Amino acid sequence: MKQSALDIAFDQEKKFADYCRTGNFVRLKGTTPNRLPHYRKLVFNVIDDTLQTAYPLTFGLLTKSEWKELVNDFFGTHNCQSYQVWKMPYELYEYVLNNDLPIKEKYPQLLNLLLFEWMEIEVFMMEDIEAASLKTSGELITDELILNPEHFLLATEYPVHYKKANEITEADKGIYYILIFREPQTGKVIFIELSVLFAWLTEQIKTTGRSVYQLSKEASEVFNIPRQQILENSQSFLNELYNQQFILGFK
Amino acid sequence: MNQFAGIGFRKDFANEFLEKKLLQPSFIEVAPENWMGIGGYWKKIFKQVAEQYPVTLHGLSLSIGSADELDWNFLRQLKSFIKEYNVQVYSEHLSFSKCNNAHLYDLLPIPFRKEAVKHIVQKTKQVQDFLEMPLVLEVVSYYTAIAPEMQEHEFINAIVDESDCRLLLDVNNVYVNGFNHKYDAYEFINKLRLDKVAYIHMAGHEQVSEDLIIDTHGQPIIDPVYDLFDYTIQQLPHTAPVLLERDFNIPEMEEMLFELNKLENICQKHWKHETVSA
Repeated sequence: MKQSALDIAFDQEKKFADYCRTGNFVRLKGTTPNRLPHYRKLVFNVIDDTLQTAYPLTFGLLTKSEWKELVNDFFGTHNCQSYQVWKMPYELYEYVLNNDLPIKEKYPQLLNLLLFEWMEIEVFMMEDIEAASLKTSGELITDELILNPEHFLLATEYPVHYKKANEITEADKGIYYILIFREPQTGKVIFIELSVLFAWLTEQIKTTGRSVYQLSKEASEVFNIPRQQILENSQSFLNELYNQQFILGFK
Repeated sequence: MNQFAGIGFRKDFANEFLEKKLLQPSFIEVAPENWMGIGGYWKKIFKQVAEQYPVTLHGLSLSIGSADELDWNFLRQLKSFIKEYNVQVYSEHLSFSKCNNAHLYDLLPIPFRKEAVKHIVQKTKQVQDFLEMPLVLEVVSYYTAIAPEMQEHEFINAIVDESDCRLLLDVNNVYVNGFNHKYDAYEFINKLRLDKVAYIHMAGHEQVSEDLIIDTHGQPIIDPVYDLFDYTIQQLPHTAPVLLERDFNIPEMEEMLFELNKLENICQKHWKHETVSA
């Protein structure tokens, strides 16, 4: 079937775009010799620079050839959907998550590391979320707490938040909880490691709106820890979260 | 405060914009994609800066030249951003940056062909109708044409005539293209619809080989580009805001200030009795 003139224009664009994404040789009509490689270089550099900036720890973990292969395969085969280039790195995380890649076997901590690095960007950049109305004075144990809504509670299998990525081994495998939130005044991103009990309490405070005192009975049963001990330990934990502005106030 | 010359807002110099110790741009420009839908520290800073200067937008992702349909989610978000910051100029590149449902995050040249003109005119009209403001399209730099069947200036003028959009005349791009494709930049300027120019960009570039200049925005503006700018604004039937672009190798503030003042002085020389219009 004969191509329409519009099809010809778009066919040339598509071949050109595919070349910029893969670097695979292409023949295009009416081009100036030796100029196409500049486009491949310029386009690839934007992607590579953006990903290196977003994932400095992952970049440091992989060998140069592993990194180059990852970025090349990602950009060549994945259709980037975000029109905001700063959000594009999240698509690399999703790409690694959804594809069988040898580097995932070599570096079992890779997915955790990518997500941990992405969360810092996400929390720093995310749109403002207004906190519920609150009182500034109250009791941390017995009152209903208003939490900073600009946060994520991340569970990882590897301690990517405190151990150098290249020193993490299978022996480190476990469950780690990391609270990541944005300081309201400065916009700074804060990371706090939580025990399983405090991760559970944080999630319950957020979802049920119950006070720590109310939750402590159930926590005692779930974790088989005396209720009094939970209440005593919670006091210093809650004080820290209040001082760091994860707990903003009281209902 | 400058009357004509503005500058791209840079995070590196955020405090300088707020304190106005040295820089006195008449406006600031940002890429909407970098500032829409964000919160936290930079949202606060941007709001403060936008209270002090008029804001122009220079988009990166519209991809007016590709076969892909317009992204209406993006346009809705953009329209609300334009309203929030009372933006008077929204410009984009006469290029494509998305193809086959994949963003490329760079600006690729469109084939200079009549059918491409028709398609771009249709998309431009859709954008203008939706945003309820003219789209200002930039004459982009390019290192090779792709499957051309018409001259570059014919391609640009046809789009401007048929869509009633406005032109962003990047004088450095014209210089770069003239060098790379061996044509006379002055003649090229004369062939454009100068009555449709609503915005001007000026920037530096880097010559990477005997016959190729890359439009890096990473070097100071060279004198021949200032000369072309001086010539260009004398040909315009009206004034237009002029932007100093610098995206890489960011120099000391004094160097930026020198370039900004130089642009402002050239404008003042020719437009001293005029007020800026876009």
